[in-house]
Amino acid sequence: MQKRVLIVDDEPHLRLLYETELRRAGFETMSAANAEQGLEFVDSMRPDLVVLDIRMPGMDGVEALQRILDRDNTIPVVLNTAYSSYRDNFMTWAADAYVTKSSDLGELVSTVRELLHEETVSQ
Amino acid sequence: MIPSAPETPGELPLWPVIEGSSAPLFVLDEAHRIVLASAGSCRLLAALAHELQGQPLARYLAPEFALADALSAQEGAIARPCELTLCPPRGAPIPVEVVCDHCDGPGGRRLSLVAIHDLTHIKILDQDRLARLGKLSLLNQINEALYGARLTLDQMLEAVLHCVTADQGLRFNRAFLLLVEERAKRLRGEVAIGPSNADEAARIWSDLADQQHDLFALMVRYDRSCKQTDVAVNEIVKQMVVPMGHGDHILVRAMRERQAFRVVASEIDFPGVEDLRRWLGTGAFAVAPLTTRRGAVGVLVADNAISGKEISDLDLEFLQLLANVSANAIENSRLYQELQQRLADLRRAAQRQKEDQKQLLRMERLSIMGETAGVVAHELRNPLVAIGGFARALHRALPEGDANRQYAGIITEEVARLEQIIHDLLDFIRPKKILRKLVPLDELITDTARMYEGQMREHGISLDIACGAEGVRVRVNPSEIQQVLQNLLMNALQAMGSGGRIAVRTRLQPGCVRVEVQDEGPGVPEDVKQKLFTPFFTTKPSGSGLGLAISNQIVKGHGGTLACQAVPGGGALFTFTVPLPRPHPASPEREQ
Repeated sequence: MQKRVLIVDDEPHLRLLYETELRRAGFETMSAANAEQGLEFVDSMRPDLVVLDIRMPGMDGVEALQRILDRDNTIPVVLNTAYSSYRDNFMTWAADAYVTKSSDLGELVSTVRELLHEETVSQ
Repeated sequence: MIPSAPETPGELPLWPVIEGSSAPLFVLDEAHRIVLASAGSCRLLAALAHELQGQPLARYLAPEFALADALSAQEGAIARPCELTLCPPRGAPIPVEVVCDHCDGPGGRRLSLVAIHDLTHIKILDQDRLARLGKLSLLNQINEALYGARLTLDQMLEAVLHCVTADQGLRFNRAFLLLVEERAKRLRGEVAIGPSNADEAARIWSDLADQQHDLFALMVRYDRSCKQTDVAVNEIVKQMVVPMGHGDHILVRAMRERQAFRVVASEIDFPGVEDLRRWLGTGAFAVAPLTTRRGAVGVLVADNAISGKEISDLDLEFLQLLANVSANAIENSRLYQELQQRLADLRRAAQRQKEDQKQLLRMERLSIMGETAGVVAHELRNPLVAIGGFARALHRALPEGDANRQYAGIITEEVARLEQIIHDLLDFIRPKKILRKLVPLDELITDTARMYEGQMREHGISLDIACGAEGVRVRVNPSEIQQVLQNLLMNALQAMGSGGRIAVRTRLQPGCVRVEVQDEGPGVPEDVKQKLFTPFFTTKPSGSGLGLAISNQIVKGHGGTLACQAVPGGGALFTFTVPLPRPHPASPEREQ
C-alpha cells in the first residue's frame, strides 16, 4: 500500500512541486496551505509522514511540530525550510529530519524514503 | 655667742623658735644685715648660720636693690610678697617669694622679719605649662599645615616626620613611619628622617639653626625627599616589616590598643622590642599608633639615638597627639589619592565607552545590512526552488535531443548556481558558532559545579566534587559542556528536594573522560528512562522537557554519550563521556 505524505507549505508553487516529485517517487500526497489546515489533515487523514515548512503566516512550523507530537509522536516529521539557521534552534530537534529547501529535491525524497523504510526506488 | 645679736635672747621670746624653724626666715637689723637665720634659711643657702650672720641679706638676693624696696615699701602696710631670685654662695640661683614685716626688738631696735618661700617647684610647673601651651599651639599649626597644603601622600608622610624631629617641633633625633598594608596584612616601614651619626647631626642641626626656618617651610619641602637625603635611616626603615597577625608585637599592640609606648634601655623585653632595638640600634624609643576612627593606618617610631636624651612623659604625650593629627591627615590624603585614581579610571572608562559606542554603531550598521541581505536571500530561495524544481522536471520529461530539454537543463544549472550563491551568502552572514577549544576538563567541571554550591546549600544539599582526570585536556565548547553539567545538577537538585548529597566525579577511561552526577533522589523509573532524552518530555510540573534533550544533543555533538542508570539503594546516576582528542602530531587541529 502506498504511504501517504502530507505537505504543509504556504507557497502554492512549492506545494505543487513537492506533490509532483513525491508522487513520482511513489507516494500518495496531500497538501495544506497553512499549519492549522495541516493539523486538521493530521487528525482526519492520518498521514504516514509530514513535510513541514517552518516559516508560514499564522502558526509557524515549530509550533505545528509540537502540536503534531502532542497528538501522535509516532508520525515522522521532516522540517523543510529555506532557513538553515533553524537547525540551531533546539525547539526543532524534536523533528525526525531536517532538510534545507533546494531546487534539487533529491535530499527531500531520499529522507522521506528513509523515514518510511522504503529502500526500494520506484522510478 | 652671736656678736651683733641682742645680748639677752630672752628679750625676744620667739628667738629659739625662729632659729630652729625649718622655714626659711631671717631677722634683719636696721641696716638689713642678718641678725638671725633659721635652719631652713641655712639649708636653702647651703651655708652655716655663723657664715650668714652680719651679712646684708641683699647680697643673696637679685636684683640687689629689690629687698630695700620691699622693706621700705611695706613699712606699716600689709605685707605683700614679691618674687626675687635667691643666690646662694654656692650652687644655682633659686626662684623665691619674699615677704617682709617689722617688729621692735630689744632695746628699741627696729628689726625686720623676712620670710622666704622657695618657688622652684612652682616655677617648674609653670615651665611645664608653658611647654604644653607651646606644643599645643604647635600641634595646631601642624594640623593647619597638613590640611591646608595640598600634599601628596608622600609629602604628607615626610611633613609628619619633620614635625617629630624639627627643633620647632617635638625635637626627637630620628623618626620612622610605618604604614599598614591592608592587602598584605602587614605593617611596613615607609619613610624615615634623621641623621646617621653625631657628626652629620651636628652639621644638620647647626645648618637648621642658621636658617631659622619656620615649621611650615620645613615641613612642606616640595623640592626634595628625605628618602634621598637621609639614606641611612631610610635603609633602616625598609627593614621594618611586621605581619599584622603578630598580635603581641609592640607595634601591632600599639595600634590595636591605640596606645603610645615608651621603651627605655633598661626595660625587660617584651615581644617586638628586640626587633626594634636591632633595627634602630638603640635601646630607648617611643612608639605612637596612627589611628583614626576607622582604624589604624600605621605607627610612628621616634628615638634620640644621637643625643641619648631621655624621652620624657611630655615627649611621649605629644608624639601621640601628633600621631593622632597625622593619622587623620594621612587617611584623608590616601582617600584623596584613591579618589583621584578612581576619577582617572572613570575618565578612561568613559573614553573607552565612547569608542565602544562608535564601534557598536558601525557593527550595528553592518549587522542591519547583513540581516537585510539575509532576508532577501531567503525570500529568493523559495521562488528559486520552484523555478529550478520544475525546470528539472521538464528536463527529465523532454526527450533526448530536444532543444527545450537543453534549455530546461540550462535553467536548472543557473538556478543551482544562484542557490549556491545564496547558500554561501547565508553562511557568511550567519554568526559563526562558538568554536571548540582544548580545555582541562577537571577544571571546567569543578568550576561549573562550584557555581551551584550556594544554591545546593540553600536546600541543605552538600556537593561532593571528586575529579580523577587531572590535567586531561579535551576539545570541547566549554559553555556547552557547562550547560550539560548545569542541566544534570539542576535535575538532581529538583529530584532530591532538600537534604542529601550530590556527587560529581570525573574518571579517565580508555579514549574518553567520564563525567558522573549522582544524586540521592527517588531515581528514574524504567518507563521514564526510555523517553528521557525526548524533547518536550518531562515528569516535572514545570520545566520545558528540553534540558536532557539539549544535553544529549550537545554530548552527541561532542562525540560522546549521555546515559542514565539506577543506583542500587536509590538515586540516579547520570553519566556522559567526552572523547579525548585524537593524537595527530602531523596535522594538529587548529584552534579557531
